[in-house]
Amino acid sequence: MKFSYTHHMPYTHVEEGGQDWPIPNKQFDPEKGVALYREYIDNKVFAEEVGFDWIGCNEHHMSPYGLMPNPNLTAAAIIERTSSAGILQSGNIVPLTNPIRIAEEYAMLDVQSGGRLIAGFMRGIPHEYVAYNIAPDDSYPRMREACELILKCWTEPEPFGWEGEHYRYRAVSIWPRPVQQPHPRLLMSGSSPDSVRLAVAFRATIGLLRITDFESAREMKNLYTDLARKDGWEPGPEHFMVGMPCSIADTVEEAMATLRSGTRFFLGVLGGGIRTAQRLVLQKTRYYREEAHRERFPGLAARRETPLEELMEKGLVLCGTPDMAIAQIKRAKAELGHGLMNLNIKIGNTPQSAVLRTMQALRDHVFPAVRDV
Amino acid sequence: MSFESNTAKLPSGALPYRVAGDGPPVLYFHAAGGARATAGLELLARGRRIYMPVIPGFDDTPLLEPVATMRDIARLGAEFIDTVIGEPADVMGQSFGGWAAPWLALDRPDAVGLLVLECPAGFRPEGYPPPSSDPELRLKQMFAYPERRPPETRSEATLARNREMLHRYHGAETRDDALIDRLGEIETLTLILLGTKDGRMPRESVQLLKDRLTRAFLVYVYDAAHSIETDQPERFANLVADFLQRGETFLVNQAAATGAPAISATA
Repeated sequence: MKFSYTHHMPYTHVEEGGQDWPIPNKQFDPEKGVALYREYIDNKVFAEEVGFDWIGCNEHHMSPYGLMPNPNLTAAAIIERTSSAGILQSGNIVPLTNPIRIAEEYAMLDVQSGGRLIAGFMRGIPHEYVAYNIAPDDSYPRMREACELILKCWTEPEPFGWEGEHYRYRAVSIWPRPVQQPHPRLLMSGSSPDSVRLAVAFRATIGLLRITDFESAREMKNLYTDLARKDGWEPGPEHFMVGMPCSIADTVEEAMATLRSGTRFFLGVLGGGIRTAQRLVLQKTRYYREEAHRERFPGLAARRETPLEELMEKGLVLCGTPDMAIAQIKRAKAELGHGLMNLNIKIGNTPQSAVLRTMQALRDHVFPAVRDV
Repeated sequence: MSFESNTAKLPSGALPYRVAGDGPPVLYFHAAGGARATAGLELLARGRRIYMPVIPGFDDTPLLEPVATMRDIARLGAEFIDTVIGEPADVMGQSFGGWAAPWLALDRPDAVGLLVLECPAGFRPEGYPPPSSDPELRLKQMFAYPERRPPETRSEATLARNREMLHRYHGAETRDDALIDRLGEIETLTLILLGTKDGRMPRESVQLLKDRLTRAFLVYVYDAAHSIETDQPERFANLVADFLQRGETFLVNQAAATGAPAISATA
């Protein structure tokens, strides 16, 4: 099993919950921001020493939910302080951004890191479309076209133009080109059938990052496998990444208290404005084109109320002592057969001491026991 | 914009052709399917006068004895420009026709303004298998949107004879090394097009052209297969019209400055 370290880099000095969209940035204290960026980047760098195979950065806009509107800047800082971990950009929100710019910046990161980039192509969560004033209905067509264009930027040996539905360029020849040939490994979302279909078309690893139960995650994995076989190839465990929150302590009570407190802040404070925007997008657009998936969204909201005990019972979190975490990882592997896990340790306002405690437990106890799982 | 039929009296013999539109002249070498007025060409004809000679033997037309090779087709095109158009013309070629067009630019540069090559044949990389002749697969490789094809009015016998014409003009060859060796001599500014879903032409063939031609632009048309004019008529017409109007300055986005409306099928 390989592990990726994700960290949304939240701004934790907001106290008022249930705020509307967008959350006023007068609440951002730059001095506190300086300290947070230092702490968070230190944590990401430390992840390599802990034994994480990948270090993740992701893009979110106009919210204390995450302080990485451009995750490529964070990645560039991490690259200079690490030497072997993969740099997972999970990712740039492709439909929001000039795809040529994504191709260029990802190529830069791949060259600067000596070929360590894992290129995430994400569609984003609904509120990002409000933030950047892009029609959510266009998200899938923009996503598909932009992904094809980015790959063309990486693989085309001659200058080329592009005459598309959403993008037009008359002459493209990016500098630098990526180190990894023909292009860096790709990662996309596997959160819906539409997303899975897109990922299979690009042979990308899928991230099952917000699973509500093993069965629905297995459905997406099976769909991916079926589509890949129809296309004439066989996916392996490396094509599936499962995401979970992670809290480890000497006692299960301590680990649960930490995760429960951080989750409460994450959902109640950091998630407030985002939910307002998401609700509007989901009411008024075809962001989720499939009715079944649209209906699943209230389920996600309902998950906010799901007791931690129930999530542990279902196997959807890594929480408890190191031995419990080892067992939870093995259980998830047995259920889903994935080869990658994406762990989120800094949940909401989880204290830095607790983050480091969990990372040290992973380093000293958990990872050595599950490497060959 | 409908195409009219006519016949030209050329030194090599009588040559049927189709013509439509108003504006600067364009000589168009058709594909192996024959001389068809596609949606893309009809849109382009709103600002260009498009001359489409029926290459001898296609669409049940008689053969012309002096015209037996791809280079001969180019010579016939030059006769057409001299005799019918009467001034240098921009030249386009699609697939099979895109093989003849560079020969014309090579042999008679004085007769050619700009050159447009749509998924041209004749430049297949060595070792690549020839395009499939399986009807079902060929349809998939030709069209991303088969439902956009114009209704077929020709008989199966005519279509089969059209396919036989390929052997008359280039035998079993899919790569013209004599032409490839001389591509660097062509000075005509050229636009090369390939659909992102083209199943007939490997992208290495247009990359070779882009590499060898001294003044060329390569543009991929998104969500189009081999028949770009049918799959994406508006993208095709807007792109080609812009290139023919502005030449190499088409690199510069001027949409806001000119205020010129794009070509639209619903306009």
